[in-house]
Amino acid sequence: MPSRSDDHQWSQQHLSHYVEGELGPRARRRLERHALGCVDCGRGIKAMRALVYAFQGLDGLAGVRAPATIFDRVRLAGPGGSPSPPNA
Amino acid sequence: MPPLAGQRLPDAADTEAALIARAQAGDIGAYERLSGAYADRLFMLLLRLLGDRSEAEDVAQEVMLRAWRAIARFRGQSSYFTWLYRIAVNEANRALEKRARRPPTTPIGADELQLPAPAADDPSRQAENRELRRALGRALAELPPALRTAIVLRDVEGLSTQEAAEIAGVSQAAFKSRLHQARLRVRATIGDQTLVTAGG
Repeated sequence: MPSRSDDHQWSQQHLSHYVEGELGPRARRRLERHALGCVDCGRGIKAMRALVYAFQGLDGLAGVRAPATIFDRVRLAGPGGSPSPPNA
Repeated sequence: MPPLAGQRLPDAADTEAALIARAQAGDIGAYERLSGAYADRLFMLLLRLLGDRSEAEDVAQEVMLRAWRAIARFRGQSSYFTWLYRIAVNEANRALEKRARRPPTTPIGADELQLPAPAADDPSRQAENRELRRALGRALAELPPALRTAIVLRDVEGLSTQEAAEIAGVSQAAFKSRLHQARLRVRATIGDQTLVTAGG
């Protein structure tokens, strides 16, 4: 039987797995049971969810466009894929 | 004239498979149409991984050149997007390795990370979002490239674990391990209180 301290360390290390839905039923119950009585782990779950949500909020191109020069080296290289000599 | 970078492929006559075949036969225009459809997204990926616009522009050109040189060897075992993204991640890592050998300059720019603040939000909420965006930028910048790549591909780009692992060139198990490590580090850097407050 794991101690409360074992549960705490284990839960802290598995918060991301929990949020990702990767824990099996037993592991999920273990973490949830521990988090019910542990302020740090309860807040840790909320923090991890907020972190993933915040990163998802970074999605969207928001007007950023690739530079017009992005194919310049390809054009310089030509069909053979190697840059042409300067005066060729 | 090639389409603008990021323009969608117009119709079925220019399907990706047809463009790939033409590009493999040496048609630069077809290659630009094919890769141009992903150019904006690829550039944003490089901005997020490198945090420096001029370096991202340089690497983006190099990615397109490397993909052009290698396209004859593309066999369609993955999607073209995955294949191109993998080249981009490899080139970004190469650039980061070069950078690591140079004296430090500007860190990854938090402003390169696009965190839109909803217009309806109150000013204090918008300020919290800006602060969180800066904190995320700093935390990402402190991650080793492999961990940063995991977060950018999975959490920011929203790719599936399978696709992200393929692009990163590792097994799904290894990728998940990197992702969890990265999240734990970012959480530790930013702090639970800031995250919970920002999460509302």
